Amino acid sequence: MVRKEDTVRLISAEGYEFVIEREAALVSNTLKNMLTSTGSFTETQLGEVRFPEISAPILEKVCQYFYWSLQFASGKETEFHIDPEMTLELMMAANYLHT
Amino acid sequence: MTMNREREVIELEQGWAVMQKGITKLKNLLEGVPEQQFNSKEYIMFYKTIYKMCTQKPLQDYSQQLYDRYRESFEEYINSTVLPALREKHDEFMLRELVMRWDNHKIMVRWLSRFFNYLDRYFIARKSLPALGEVGLMCFRDLVYAEMKTNVKDAVITLIDREREGEQIDRALLKSVLGIFVEIGMGNMDVYETDFEGFMLQDTAAYYSHKAASWIEEDSCPDYMLKAEECLKREKERVGHYLHASSEQKLLEKVQHELLTKYENHLLEKEHSGCDALLRDDKVEDLSRMYRLFCRISRGLEPVAAIFRQHVTDEGIMLVKQAADAASSNKGEKKDSVGAQEQAFVCNVNELHDKCLLYVSECFLNDSLFHEALKEAFCNISEELLVTVFDLLKKGGSVKLSDEAIEDTSEKVGELLAYIGDQDLFAKLWRIDGDTLASSLTSSSNEGVPQHSSLQQLRDESDPSIVVALMGTTTTEDFFTRVTTLGRGSGKDSQLESHE
Repeated sequence: MVRKEDTVRLISAEGYEFVIEREAALVSNTLKNMLTSTGSFTETQLGEVRFPEISAPILEKVCQYFYWSLQFASGKETEFHIDPEMTLELMMAANYLHT
Repeated sequence: MTMNREREVIELEQGWAVMQKGITKLKNLLEGVPEQQFNSKEYIMFYKTIYKMCTQKPLQDYSQQLYDRYRESFEEYINSTVLPALREKHDEFMLRELVMRWDNHKIMVRWLSRFFNYLDRYFIARKSLPALGEVGLMCFRDLVYAEMKTNVKDAVITLIDREREGEQIDRALLKSVLGIFVEIGMGNMDVYETDFEGFMLQDTAAYYSHKAASWIEEDSCPDYMLKAEECLKREKERVGHYLHASSEQKLLEKVQHELLTKYENHLLEKEHSGCDALLRDDKVEDLSRMYRLFCRISRGLEPVAAIFRQHVTDEGIMLVKQAADAASSNKGEKKDSVGAQEQAFVCNVNELHDKCLLYVSECFLNDSLFHEALKEAFCNISEELLVTVFDLLKKGGSVKLSDEAIEDTSEKVGELLAYIGDQDLFAKLWRIDGDTLASSLTSSSNEGVPQHSSLQQLRDESDPSIVVALMGTTTTEDFFTRVTTLGRGSGKDSQLESHE
């Protein structure tokens, strides 16, 4: 069971909330900066980040990518499937999130 | 479901107004004005604004302007707020203000570079510009540091001198200030060394030069040395408390130079308290301190060793003279006492030797330089010594010496002969007085026992080849011949010949 403190909530444009592990979120440099700053960001306490620009399916794919990347880093080889229609938006989101 | 690609284009001024709000809020937080801390929504908004402005079509790609305005934000803040605040303060207050402003600055850089982070990723790489973090640092360096550095340096050095005089100062503050020097260097120590260390070393040298000049006149050698040791200890602590570790070596060298190197000879030769006096008065602790202090300077121990050698030689020769005088004055009296006289003499010399050896091992920590000095001194004495011993034996030869007396004496002489490491010297002395020694050894009524024990001693302590030659004797005449042949021989070869 994942503890509450180890999770982060990513909220898409429509308001969908994706709950993922903190470790997964840190794959994104942007999120990493935000969550690990030594100043006092309120979201380090709330663990919640909003993305009014990113739609739910994209955000969902992004979350999947985080987990896939963690798996890949540990050596297992898996394929990450991307729908061609999604590619452009996905790339833009990735750029935004510095992933 | 596709995203709306028709995003609104953000104009420069529009976007900048958003950023400006963030910057102002940050400044307020630093100045202590009550404000909410940043939350994620604001962060995302700033980040997004920059992101958008940089990814818009080329005409509206405001990357360059944003980069410039980023730097200008710092400059404006520094010029309007930071510098005036610093200028109006002095000395220690100025230092505190500086440390606070520096810490604030670092926070500001961190936040703004996070907001403007997108620039860091692509724009600066494309144009090979310094990163945002560096830009921020450089602003501080060029505007604040450049103007303040001389004052800061002077203030720090003044505080250090005050501490030397015994005042309590705020060490944590100094440590922070010196930390700034190091950080401004951005990776290397040049800034610290040129803008601070050089001046600090100069000031240290001047300070100690002044102190030394007055101490050397007023204080005795041991007192001066105590003070010197104390100063060195405190300076080393100073490095531990707030100076940068790289300064330690240079600082200690400066202090040593001013206190010790310059005045070494003056110190050692102080009439009533210099090295010689300390040896005379058996001041073990002071001598140890002397060794500890002077072994730090290159070639610092040589003068000390020279004085030590001289002292030992003088003492030895004095003993020799004493014994010789006593013997000649006793000549007319009871001849029995002559034997005791020479025994006492040899005893004294041995005592001297033991005492000096103790000095070398305890005070001088078995330093080879001092072993050498001791050896040389005894070499010098030994020549005198042997001449006198032979003389005494000659004089005593007309009296029947007891077996134990001879044995004792020969034993001691054997020990001292160990000092004559030089084969030639030994041979030479044998040549001069070998006859005498041989005749005195053999003139005693007993041939067997005393000879052997003294020869045993000789065997243990000196060159085996000589003794082997000597041991081969059976009769007195034989012994005599061998000894004289040995003496007249010029080296090992001839000894081997005579042995065969």
